[in-house]
Parts: sequence; structure tokens; C-alpha cells
Amino acid sequence: MGRFIVRRLIGVVLLLIIVSAATFAVFFLGPKFVGADVARNFCGRVCNQQSLVEVKAKLGLDKPIYEQYGAYVKGVVAGRDFVTGTDTTHCSAPCLGYSFKTDQSVWFLMKDRLPITFSLAIGAALMWLVSGVAVGILSALRRGSFFDRAAMSVALAGVSLPVYFTGLVALSIFSYKLKWFVNVHYVGFTSNPALWAKNLLLPWICLAFLYAATYARLTRANMLETMGEDYIRTARAKGLPESVVIRRHGFRAALTPIVTIFGLDLGGLLGGAILTETVFGFPGVGKLAYDAIATQDLPVVLGVTVFAAFFIIMANLIVDVAYAYVDPRVRYG
Amino acid sequence: MQHDPLTPTKGERSTSPEGRRLDRVTAPLDVEKSALQADPDAAVSGLSAKAVEGRSLRQIAWMRLKRDKVALGGGIVILLLILIAVFAPLIVKLLGHPPNDFHQELLDPTLLTPKGSFGGISSQFLLGVEPVNGRDVFSRIVYGARISLLTAFLATLLSVSIGTVVGITAGFFGGWVDGLISRLMDILLAFPLLVFAISIGTVIQTANGSVFGLSGTSLSVATLIFIIGFFNWPYIGRIVRGQTLSLREKEFIDAARSLGATNRHIIFKQLLPNLAAPVLVYSTLIIPTNILFEAALSFLGVGVRRPTASWGSMLSDAVETYQIDPVFMIVPGVALLITVMAFNLLGDGLRDALDPRAGR
Amino acid sequence: MSRIQLVRAGSLAAVLALGAAACGGSSGSKPPNNPGVSAAYNAAIGGVVNQSTKTGGTINFVASSDFDSLDPARTYYAYSWDYQRIYQRTLMMFKPVPGKAGASVTGDLADGPGKLSDGGKTVSYTLRDGISFQDGKAITSADIKYALERSFAQDVINGGPGATYLSPILVGGATYKGPYKQPAGLSSIDVSDPKKITFHLTKPFADFDYLMALPISTPVPKAADTGKNGGANYQFHVVSSGPYMIPPGGYSPGKNLTLVRNPNWKKSSDPNRLALPDKINLTEGLDSTDEDQRVLAGSADMEIEGTGVQQDAQSKILTGATLKANADNPSTGFTRYISIQQTVAPLNNVHCRRAVQYAADKVALQFARGGPVAGGDIAGQMTPPTLPSYKKINPYPSGSDNKGDLVKAKEELKLCGKPTGFSTKIATTNKGKGPAVGEALQQGLARVGIKTQIIAVDPSTYYSGVIGLPSNVKKQGLGLAVAGWGPDFPTPYGFFESIVDGRAIKPEGGNSNYAELNDPAINGLIDQAQGETDATKRNDIWAQVDQKVMDSAVYLPFVADKALTYRSPRLTNVYINDSFGIYDFVNMGVSG
Repeated sequence: MGRFIVRRLIGVVLLLIIVSAATFAVFFLGPKFVGADVARNFCGRVCNQQSLVEVKAKLGLDKPIYEQYGAYVKGVVAGRDFVTGTDTTHCSAPCLGYSFKTDQSVWFLMKDRLPITFSLAIGAALMWLVSGVAVGILSALRRGSFFDRAAMSVALAGVSLPVYFTGLVALSIFSYKLKWFVNVHYVGFTSNPALWAKNLLLPWICLAFLYAATYARLTRANMLETMGEDYIRTARAKGLPESVVIRRHGFRAALTPIVTIFGLDLGGLLGGAILTETVFGFPGVGKLAYDAIATQDLPVVLGVTVFAAFFIIMANLIVDVAYAYVDPRVRYG
Repeated sequence: MQHDPLTPTKGERSTSPEGRRLDRVTAPLDVEKSALQADPDAAVSGLSAKAVEGRSLRQIAWMRLKRDKVALGGGIVILLLILIAVFAPLIVKLLGHPPNDFHQELLDPTLLTPKGSFGGISSQFLLGVEPVNGRDVFSRIVYGARISLLTAFLATLLSVSIGTVVGITAGFFGGWVDGLISRLMDILLAFPLLVFAISIGTVIQTANGSVFGLSGTSLSVATLIFIIGFFNWPYIGRIVRGQTLSLREKEFIDAARSLGATNRHIIFKQLLPNLAAPVLVYSTLIIPTNILFEAALSFLGVGVRRPTASWGSMLSDAVETYQIDPVFMIVPGVALLITVMAFNLLGDGLRDALDPRAGR
Repeated sequence: MSRIQLVRAGSLAAVLALGAAACGGSSGSKPPNNPGVSAAYNAAIGGVVNQSTKTGGTINFVASSDFDSLDPARTYYAYSWDYQRIYQRTLMMFKPVPGKAGASVTGDLADGPGKLSDGGKTVSYTLRDGISFQDGKAITSADIKYALERSFAQDVINGGPGATYLSPILVGGATYKGPYKQPAGLSSIDVSDPKKITFHLTKPFADFDYLMALPISTPVPKAADTGKNGGANYQFHVVSSGPYMIPPGGYSPGKNLTLVRNPNWKKSSDPNRLALPDKINLTEGLDSTDEDQRVLAGSADMEIEGTGVQQDAQSKILTGATLKANADNPSTGFTRYISIQQTVAPLNNVHCRRAVQYAADKVALQFARGGPVAGGDIAGQMTPPTLPSYKKINPYPSGSDNKGDLVKAKEELKLCGKPTGFSTKIATTNKGKGPAVGEALQQGLARVGIKTQIIAVDPSTYYSGVIGLPSNVKKQGLGLAVAGWGPDFPTPYGFFESIVDGRAIKPEGGNSNYAELNDPAINGLIDQAQGETDATKRNDIWAQVDQKVMDSAVYLPFVADKALTYRSPRLTNVYINDSFGIYDFVNMGVSG
């Protein structure tokens, strides 16, 4: 197991290098492709040829792309120096650089917004995991009942509803018409836990609805499949009470794929909260990425992309490890 | 953890849930016992048997599908949507107004929202008019269906084509080829897809003139298809690879090989027909995801170029006014819901029809 | 226009014409002494709503995005300039009063307007007594000199207008690179007396006082602009010179900015500021609709960007008498227009340009800007109605309903040799109202066969690299560009110079004369107006400029901007300052 993890961790590093290189490529070659100059975005309104050259030099855009990428990787691994005009600032590893637009440290910008994205993602994830799995199991056990059919119909609608629609509908009904949630905006957990939870409730529900639906359907299908397996019949034949059969054998086997998907969804969600954050106006990491892309603020985009990729990869890794525990058939040598 | 003595002996080869579930996609009937008789390994003993096998599978699946009224309903809705998309100009000519024509006389001049209730719905404007410019919402929904279905279908076709070719290659040849392709798929799956899609979309939005001989709306549609299709192929690729891996070990492949069949023959005549079912099921299930993806990108302003109507950009426009004109938000949202749901229903039905073990 | 809607950009060079007339103010000018008015719709336009001298309390402002920069040398947003007046002092300042007088300047750190000598080529100011930074250190003329020199350092702190304004008029300015590269400084700014600052100009520049009212003259202590908190990072560590300061940790970009009292500010040194509240909070990064809700509900006092409320709030305000009494609908001084590029065929032909003028649907364009209330009035000329030279003309009437004169448009198309129309591209921004304006233009032109393709670009590149770069306009064939313009100073020169003077075209980028209009007759009129001392005659000349610009048909004006803004009834001393076109923050207080 240990060797497996080490091998995977090396893979993680390789993956991150590839993802960051690809992001670099897209951002540098993309604008070149359509004949635009990224430096102009940060040159101000009074931009002439000379100031453009100076801005390029300041941002390091005057160097060939591989040198810039090399400097970036060096910064992440060993830190690098930045000239601010009055001083040379050392940015220690892992250095993600400074925003082209605001000159703020990318790491600081992300750290600042992470609590928002984490709050959103983790709250919603818990909500959808619990409700999705519960509904799925109940539906499977009462297959064909009214509950089953009703729950599966709602779930089907759920997987078909994008968050940018449910979010607007929820805001329209609960915020503007009923006034249950007015001024939905992010409040730090430490400053007011009650308001934090209250203001996050709508985004949680909207996001959770989408995923819970998938989980309910998946859990139900898995449960039904598992309960039809021979070993369940064997367990029943042994005279085990039905509740024990479900809990000890059915549930555990049915849970395995859920673990996989949960890890992947959560990993992906942290990097891709863009839509939810846009709809609800939460200034999280997703919004940061979206705004940075619009202004081609490369260091910020790169920071968020690498960070998001890191989460997806780590989620994959954790899933694989967890898998080995949950599903005894899997062994890693 | 202890090895569970009750662990099933079936499906040990694959570790992924999809792989396990789709192991025997060709098993036809409810009764599990008879499944064994129709299993490819048992049924296909000679090269000529596959034609019979394929037809019977299709017949059986169709029989099952016909019984599934909900899935059929989904299929009918999809058919209608396709007809709407194809005949959009005709439908709009009969029932609406040109999709880009302004009708500002129908708007309240201070608030810029439709006069009258329910978003200005009338016999002339079946789904009301857009705030600010008074465009016919019905016409834009009809034309929006074109964009939605076109991008989703073509993107799915792209990812299925790449995914199948690459998946078969990896699964069939194994070894370092498999290792390389699997790593490549891992990398692509680790990409924060939406961030990348927005990045490329932004660049293309500002693209002027033509890129690869395309420009304007057609360029933005082509870009969408490429982004959605290209980043999604590893999902199909993984499934196909898993399927190929398990099929490769089956007796009928061995039999073919021992009869001197070439790799090409095995891939095209033996593997592909057996992969058709899972690929079909997953294609149907990927289409709705792709529809939502296109809408999301258009919602974020990096999708289809204006003024071409897209459901996603309509929703994005509705953000400005949904508190005072909710109808303009609900109409494109419901259009999306119906379309996506129809594909999900049909996809579910197809899976059940082709794979009874998926549970119902 | 400016880079984004909020930026008040304009004259990039001299503002010679109106200088003397506009230089009001004297040492010891008093705080707003206008008759107070009670709350009513549009009451804060020309009057002071809730006049009060009550101190204490907290003001809660909201904004949707962060300032472009808190560094006084870098900022170029109108509301940012206005906001900095709360806690920063400049050599001169726009008078904190409502009505026309607000568009004139008065001494802030200086005891009065600059004294001219050497035929106007030397300007000198004497500083007030008792002026100091937040740490108690006295402000000397060297601090102001250093601040002005900083704005030349475009390689480190780019964005602000300082270098463009100052380099042609200060002796040695053309080659100066800023204090980081050339610490010796500019010898043309003489600060040998710490209480006096003297400028040596290359040519007389009567509006120098206006220039010194911009944030670039905010004093910056050299000691604070060194090390890791200096240069590009100074914006996060600004040192305050006014009645308020940013406490440690008080600025979190994109989230909030807190201002508390500066204990070292002396009221005796500052006759312009009342400094009423104890604390001023600004919450940034809010969704626009959320901002409106908060302000209408009373949990926030005012939105500071001044771009107006969203549609939901607009419907509530206009239909509710109580809310309406707390709202204003001021002219912002911006003209919204389409630039018709002469460098892109067939728009190099004046008849094709006129066809566009006639074919455009101005009602559709007005609606796209927000309609008559939130958008503004339909315009037939470039000069905004807020300028003294405004004389109403409408050379290309767009029919009785303002929806375009298609018959005339087709006639012009025939004269242009394109009777069935032609194809071109519309450049616009992809945020805010940009896409809607592009679509409205497209739809209007389609009626006479002018087919267009919309190119939507992020505002951050749009003005600098897309339509502000003449070679790019030509290369990409951007025949039509959605634009808007408002002056840095409320003078016709400030409005027109950058956008119609052929000598102001910047081929290397940062160009604001998007249509590359270079008509010797217009250039001559501008020079003539600059030399004219009689205000009436000068305004007549500017009216001719307006007419000539319209004759060339390179600009298609469609809306004179207005915004529907809301002020909390609890705010005191509320009025629109004409030099910014938005509320003046400098003397606001709270009643309870």
C-alpha cells in the first residue's frame, strides 16, 4: 500500500506539471492565435509603445514562453524574486506569483477566497451525500412503491436542472417573493456562524439538489444490484435478519461506487464552483478564476487551475485508497 | 480488511462500477438464468453467428424498450425537439417573428420589461417577449433548440469517436500502449474542465476574422463542439477500454484468433459489435450533460456568439430582470429541463433494455 | 470613454481654455454654505439634502468591485477620485458644493490657486499651515513633488493619467522616467522652500490648477514608498493626509475598506472638509442587485460607483413615492456613441457613414443603455448637455419616432455606391450593457442591408488594445465601435480634445480618437478656442466644433447619459458634484 501511494504521489507531481504547462500554453498561444497582446490588458488606458515594453518587462512577458514557464516552476519549487520598483521581494516556495492586474500575491488571493468555496462545497457535499444515499436506499428497499416512484421522478428532474436555473428560481421565490433569505451574501463563519449557515443554505440546497439526484439514482441502482447478488441470498439463507443483511452486506457493497464518485465530485467541485458562485454572487475561488480569465490575469488563472487540478488528483488518490478499504476485492501491490 | 467470504465471484476482472455493470450488456432477459444462454461467450461460437446475435439483441432491446412507456415518452419528446430544430425557420414563420427582430413597442419604456402580465405572452407572442429589446421569446427558444441539439450531438459524436478508438486501442493492445493511453486519460480527467473551457471560449470570443475558415457564429459553435467533445472523450474511453479488456479474454475472441483472424478483423468484426450497446447507452446519457455544458458556457458569456439565440445566454440575460419579469427566466429554463430530462429518460430506458442488471 | 463605464477619462493634454474662468476659490473658503433642501426626487442635483454639521456615527458604503487602485498615481475611476477625497488631500481640489460651482477648483493643501509668473510659464503654490500625514509628520512641498514624480514611473505603477498630462508641460518631463529609475527627480519642480512648490512649464498652461486637483498631487512620503511596501505595493499601504486613514488591516481588496479618524489631521488646516462621521465602511465585491437591496432596505447607505440601480430597484423606486423622494436622476456628463471608423472600407466614404447615422434605431440603442431614466436622453450631437457650449443640434434626425430614417439611409447608401448595403463588424465590450448595445445597433442597420458581426471583448482590453490601437482597428476591420466619453474636467476642451483633435491620435495605442478624425478645420477651431478669452465667443467656437464633427459623420451619438441613483435618508450633506457627475462623498455624515 505504501509503495502504491508513493508511486501515485509521483504521478500527482507529473500531472500537475502537465496541467500547468497546458494552461501556460493555452494562455500564451491562445491570444497569439487570434493576434492579441496580453500585456496590453495591464498597460492602462494611456498605453504607448514604450510603456507596453516596460509593462512586458515587468510582467516577464518579454521572455520566451519556456523561460517564463521555467521561472514559474522554479517559483513553486524553490521560490523566486520579484522587482517591485523600490525593492526586490522574495516570494518563497511554493510561490504562485503575483496577479498581473492587482499585484497581489496569488496565494493570498486564493487563501482569502478558499473559505467561501470550501464552505459552499463541503456543506453542499454533506447535504447531497446524506440525502442522496438515504433516498436511494429507501427507494431500493421499497422498490415500486409510491415513495420510490416519487423520489425517482424528483431525482430525474434534479439531474436535469442546472444550478444556474435552480439558483435563479430559488432566489426569485425565497429571496424576492417570500423574503425568507434577504441579502444573500457570504458572511464569514467566524464573524457570524448563524448568518453564515443561513446565507449558504440556498446555494447548498441548489447545488445539493443536482448531485443528490445523481446519488439517489446511483445508490438505488447499486443497492438493487447488490441485493440481487448470490452472496446476499446466501446471507439471507443463513438466517441473518434482513436489517443485518442490508447493513452488513448490501449497504457496504452498494456504497463502494458512491465513494468513488463522491471523491471525484468533491474534488471537481472545489475547482469548478464557478457557476454557483456566479449565480449567488459569492466571491470564491471560482469567481476569482472567472474574473481572472476575463482579464487574462495569467498568474491567477494558473494558480487556480493548478490548485483545482491538485484537488481533483488528490481526490482520485484518496478514492483509490478508500476503495481498497471499502471493497475487499481490490488490492494494490 | 478481511476478505469477505461472500464476495461474488463474478465480475472480478473489472474494478470500476461501470465496468462491472456493463460486463454483460448483451444479456437479454429478465430471468437471470437465461442470460447465460445469450451471453456472447456461449452464443457466439463461430464467426458467422454474430449477425444473428446482433439482430436478436436489437430485437430484444426494442421489445424491452417498447414496454418502457416513460423511456418511449422521452424518445418522442426528443424526436419532436429534433423536428423543431430542423424546421425552425418554418415554425417561426408560421407561429412567431424573426428571432432577431426588436419589438420595443411591447415594452414599458421606463422599466423596459414587457407590457401586460406573464412576460407579455399573447396570441402573437406565444412565450412573451424579451425585456430591453422585445424579441420574440418563442422564436428564440425554437432557434435555441438548434444550437443546443447541434452542439450536444456533434460534441457527443466527437467524444464517442475518439473515446472508442482510443479505448479499443488501449484495451486491445494492452501493455505500454494501454499504460500511455490510461495516463493520458488520467491527465485529461484531472483538468478543471470548466476553467479550461472558459479560457478557450474567451479567446475565441475575441477572435476576429476567421480561424480554420470559420468565423462568427459558426466559429463559436465549432469551438463549443470541440471543447465539450474533446474534454469528454476520456469518460467514454475508460468505459470502452474496460469493456475491451474483458471482451478480449472471452472465448469467442480466442476462437477467432485460433482460426487465424487478423487484429483488424477481431477489432472490427468481433469487438465493435459487442461494444455498440454500451457506447450507445453512454452516448445517450452524455448528450444531456453536453446540453447543460453548452448552456453553462453560454450562460457565462463564452458560448455561442450574439445575437444567435441560445438557451444559456437567454438565462444569462434573464439574470438582470428575473425579479420583475420571471417568465423570461422560466421559459428557457423549462426548455432546458424538458430536453435534458427527455434524454435522461431515454438513456435510462436504453440502459435497462440493453442491460437488465442495471436494476430497475 | 474611459476604460470602463466608471472611469472619467478625458483630456489627456492641456485644458487651456477655461482655466481662468473656472479658477474660483480662495484661501479660507467655507464648507458648503448652500441652502439645504429637503428630500425629494432630484433634490440632490443643485441642492444639499439633509444639511447638517452633526458629527459621529458610521457610514456604510457598498461597491460591486474594487477600486482600480488606491495608489493616487494609478487610479483613473471617477468614483475612486471622488472617494479618495475623503481621506486624501491634494494640492487643489474640486469644490465640495452642489451645482455649477462644484465644477470649479479651490485650494486644498495649497492656500489658494497657483500664482502665475514668467508669462504663465511658472506656477507656484504656498502650502497651508498645520498639514500633516497620519503619522503626524508635517507635509512638505517635497512630498508633493515626489508624488508627482512617481506618476511618471509607468513601468512600476501604471494606469494613472499623470505622465500623459505632465510630461509635455513640465520642463524635462518628456524624458523623465520616475523616481525609481531617476531618483534625482525633476528639476522643473522647485521645492527649495518646504512651504512652497513652484513648477516650470514648457508653455503657459492656464488650467494647471485643475491638474493639481487630480489625485496625482496627493502627497506621498518617500520613506513609505520604499522597500516591500513601496512601488507597486504602495497601493496596499497608502499614507493618508486627510481627516481619515486606513487602520492596519482595514483594506482587503475586493472585500472592504475601512476608514477611521486620522488623529493628526487638524481642522484648522482644512477649510473644505467637515469630517463628520467617526467611521466609514465600504463593502466591496457585492452583486449589483444585492447592493440595491441593501441600500433600499437601509442596511447600507449608498452605492458609490454611481452607475445607477438595477431594474428591480428601479421599478421599486419609480413606483414608490417614499423611495422616489430619496432618488436622483443626474446627468453624468457622458455621451454614448458609436465610432464609425474611417479606416475601414466602405466607411471611408462619408455617405456610407451617414447611412449608418440614419439607419440606427436610437430608441433600441437608448433601451439597451437602460431606457430614458436609467440610460439617458436620446442625443443628436456629441456635446453633452452639461457643458456650457451645448447648443442643441440634430444633423441626422432619425425619424419622428427616433427609430431611424430608413429612406434617407437608403439614399445615402446609393450615393456611397452600396445600394444593397454592405458588411462590417461591431466592436463592443462583453460586460454590462455592451452586448445589448451591439445587438441594438446590429438590428437597426440590418433593416437597410448593412450586415454586421459582433465582436465582444472584455473591457480591460477593449479600450487599450482593441479599439484604442488604430492598426488593430484597421487590421481587424472593426468598422463600428461602441464607445462613450466624459471629460476629466467639466470643460468643452476636456471633452473634445482627445476624441476629435487629429493631433491627439496615438498610433501606438491608448488612442481615444477612435475614428482617427484629423480635419484641419476642426484642429484650427480647437486652437482658436484655446486662444479665445471671451467665454461666450469660446462656447460658440466649441459649438462649431460640435457641428463639424457631426458633419464628418464619424461619431454617431445616441444617448446623453443619466443614472438613477439612491441616497439613504439617514445620510446628511448629500449632493451631486458636477465635476464627477456622482454624489460628493467628502462631507457626508449620518443623522442617526
